[in-house]
Amino acid sequence: MGAVLTNPLRVGLRQERVIPPQCLVIFGASGDLTHRKLIPALFELFRQRRLPSEFAVLGCARRPWSDEEFRSRMAEALANEVAEHPLAWEQFAAGLFYEPVDLQDPPSVVRLGERLAVIDRQRATRNNRTFYLSVSPTFYGSGCRSLAAAGLLSDPARSRVVIEKPFGRDYGSAQELNRVVQTSAQENQIFRIDHYLGKETVQNILVMRFANTIFEPIWNRNYISSVQITAAETVGVEERAGYYESSGALRDMVQNHLTQMLALTTMEAPGRFDPESMRNEKAKVLQAARLANEDEPWKCCVRGQYGPGGSSSKPITGYRQEPGVNPESTTETYVAMKLFINNWRWQGVPFYLRTGKRLPKRLSEVVLTFREAPVHLFDAAGGAPTPNQLILRIQPNEGAEFKFEVKAPGSGMRSRPVDMAFSYDDSFGEPSDEGYVRLLADAMLGDPTLYTRSDEVEAAWRLYTPLLELIEDAPAQLPVYPYEARTWGPGAADSLLADDGLIWRRP
Amino acid sequence: MSTQLTLQAPLVLPPAEVPGHLERLWSDELGSSHGAATFTLVVWEGSWLEQQLVRCGRLDGPITGLLNDTVLEAARAAAISCGLPLSTAPMDPQLAWAIGNLGGDHHAADLRGQFVEGAISVHMPRRLITFAPTLDGAKPLETLVAAYCPLPEEGAGGDACGDVVVLRGGTGALRENLDLVQPLISPELPCWVWWNSSLDEAPEVMTALASGNRRLVVDSSLGDPRRCLDLLVARVGAGQPINDLNWMRLRSWRESLAMVFDPPSRRDALNHVVQLDLDVEGDNPVKGLLLAAWLADRLGWHLTATYAVDGDGSGQGIGAEFERTDGQTVRFRQMPVPVGVPKTHPGAMVGLRLICQSSQGSPLCVILCSESGGCMRLESGGMASMELAEEVVPLPNESEEMEMARLLSGGHDSTNPLLAVAAPIAARLLP
Ligand SMILES: NC(=O)c1ccc[n+]([C@@H]2O[C@H](COP(=O)([O-])OP(=O)(O)OC[C@H]3O[C@@H](n4cnc5c(N)ncnc54)[C@H](OP(=O)(O)O)[C@@H]3O)[C@@H](O)[C@H]2O)c1
Repeated sequence: MGAVLTNPLRVGLRQERVIPPQCLVIFGASGDLTHRKLIPALFELFRQRRLPSEFAVLGCARRPWSDEEFRSRMAEALANEVAEHPLAWEQFAAGLFYEPVDLQDPPSVVRLGERLAVIDRQRATRNNRTFYLSVSPTFYGSGCRSLAAAGLLSDPARSRVVIEKPFGRDYGSAQELNRVVQTSAQENQIFRIDHYLGKETVQNILVMRFANTIFEPIWNRNYISSVQITAAETVGVEERAGYYESSGALRDMVQNHLTQMLALTTMEAPGRFDPESMRNEKAKVLQAARLANEDEPWKCCVRGQYGPGGSSSKPITGYRQEPGVNPESTTETYVAMKLFINNWRWQGVPFYLRTGKRLPKRLSEVVLTFREAPVHLFDAAGGAPTPNQLILRIQPNEGAEFKFEVKAPGSGMRSRPVDMAFSYDDSFGEPSDEGYVRLLADAMLGDPTLYTRSDEVEAAWRLYTPLLELIEDAPAQLPVYPYEARTWGPGAADSLLADDGLIWRRP
Repeated sequence: MSTQLTLQAPLVLPPAEVPGHLERLWSDELGSSHGAATFTLVVWEGSWLEQQLVRCGRLDGPITGLLNDTVLEAARAAAISCGLPLSTAPMDPQLAWAIGNLGGDHHAADLRGQFVEGAISVHMPRRLITFAPTLDGAKPLETLVAAYCPLPEEGAGGDACGDVVVLRGGTGALRENLDLVQPLISPELPCWVWWNSSLDEAPEVMTALASGNRRLVVDSSLGDPRRCLDLLVARVGAGQPINDLNWMRLRSWRESLAMVFDPPSRRDALNHVVQLDLDVEGDNPVKGLLLAAWLADRLGWHLTATYAVDGDGSGQGIGAEFERTDGQTVRFRQMPVPVGVPKTHPGAMVGLRLICQSSQGSPLCVILCSESGGCMRLESGGMASMELAEEVVPLPNESEEMEMARLLSGGHDSTNPLLAVAAPIAARLLP
């Protein structure tokens, strides 16, 4: 969101629930995510006075840092924020500690337990702990096991584990990982992160739908003809080639983020806004979702990979030329697909999902297209009347837009489409919190509503299993079409919709 | 949330034996529990209203120290019999005082300190020390001790326990035995001191209990307004963490006002406020002044004059003038208004009116009204030409104990910075 004057009366009003005293233990404290996202989010919470004073962060990784070294590394990484709020940083940093721990070495995890007991006394953190696994996914399972073996997860009211993405690589590995973590802790202690759910506008899908009466009656197959969900990035693979080569767009974006947007858009209203009711409904709708053609999945999915592009003055490297990428890589950087949801509400309504890197715009949105009026009484300025559309903009220009026909000025009765728009900026003018701020706060509050439950994760992987198997076993059937960087993906993706007489929205 | 009793019937002990008994309790009976490394909560539980209502037979016992609907109803009825104005809030210390003049000599069991609100007990205080001053000022000190465990809730580990100490007697006896209590407060754990009574009471006891970096919790709606505000200012000035339940109850008003100015198109109006009017219940001005002070601080106004103004029959109001950052004047008026059914605490907000007048555009008039009553006075008078933004402020519906529980769960060891700047301005606003 753009720079706007803050509302001076809003200061100090954001917080609702207060985070109870506790120690947040970060595994992977020397890694990228910790200094780029986690510590900045915690410092933000501290400055918003949302952290209790009985609070500590214990950083853990294998390298033998001291408390002091951890503090100064974090201060370096947050140099700008620290320079801006030196006093606040000093107070915050006094609660940062470090303990060398190798998650694969049980004795060092036992030592961790002893250190935590000391911190509990020093900082009065009341034996409350949140363990954050910001380590390679290969350690998620063994990490939970070591924590459980050291007795650190035995009190479900006072300990919980946050697990980063990706949760598994396919249905089988996600099931296996769930089995392992569930033998170490109860499901209500396990917080699987999906940082899209931390976005204010993703949460707003729920509020729009269920805090208003006007949408829900038309939110079904009787009124909606199709739905498009887009998450477009302008960036390329950046420094994450190693990870991305083994993952690709389907695993990196679709299975988690796009699927979560799909679930929030299509779920039934929960009886109450509590974690289990919410997640029951999300899991149910994902279990009803299917690829449009499960037997011939290549007919309902298109993969792409960006090639070189840009202008002669500002050329853009193609994916295969990026550092760390196999020059013959067949990893997809773009994927589009068509799904159905086989339930009473959505039977027969096509859902089109697409995501890609190096597209012309950075944007995430959900577009609901409504059925045409049964009879065309008026001439439309554009030839045919444009169907009504409701566009939920997740980012940027967060907000919502409704397109409908009005009378074009002048004699006669011609119609033309107009927009009715709501923008977060115009209505609130406050930058919203980074997703991690919300998600970390929720985990420390013990509120899993915005975290994915085991059955949701598994349903999401199962949904894409035919595609993952095809890519594994017969990749030629699902070719990776090249597309020029900074274009809207391969032409084949347009055919996916053209067969249904539709086109992708050009946002 | 339900209230919970102590684990064992409390043991009455001679005061001198309390420390030794507590030590034995922990080494023998509670040896296996973690003995929650949480906090100590010290409560001054005056409960004068409840005690007086029981004494004159308007309330059946036992005396619990909890403010529930039965107590409030009996208090409202008693206010009428005592000939006090209808607007007298049940918690107004004047009411307990007036009931004190009614006849009666009924007695009931005094269980103060033995009922723990569930919302507080889930935070597992390591030690809960209750001072229970009695109506009989000459009563000698009695001490009671018990172990206490929160009932394990679903899924919660219920084995971390705490203990409960009650000191009951006349205020003089409590004052003389303060030395007994100090060693019971562990210096290693945070300590909260909740002054759950009027701030006019036993100042030397408060000074002794709320010393050092102990976190004091008060209610500035209870007691002489000058004394209440000065106490806030002094504690803030001394750097002691202080929380004011009266300030916390302003939250929905601050939220509603902030909401009006959320759209950036409205923001500029905040630079052009020319008038602020507040209506409050009855004659306690503190809450209204804290709200005005908060707004003045947020908008950078500078107080230039303050004076008493005559109301139309409903008591004295307060007037003041502020200077905005651009040198223009903001006029402030706070008036007491009579209400049929007053809220629990004295001086609750009834309405707010803010008029913003810039050189361009039409003036903006913001009116906030309490959910329970209208604010006809503020709605009347010459606003036809203005853009009107009117909102209803929802009533927060929480007991003292719930408010306290929220504080305890947060574990903040410093004063809310907004209160810290608002309190001195509010103190200067009081003529
Ligand atoms: N970075 C991102 O933007 C991002 C975005 C989404 C999700 N994620 C997820 O977040 C997690 C962390 O990502 P990252 O980018 O921060 O990774 P990273 O930079 O590679 O950091 C890995 C961390 O794990 C520690 N570590 C390695 N082996 C360990 C062991 N046996 N015991 C304890 N600690 C060990 C490393 O420190 P030592 O070498 O000192 O042990 C290091 O601190 C990954 O699961 C990733 O998928 C990251």
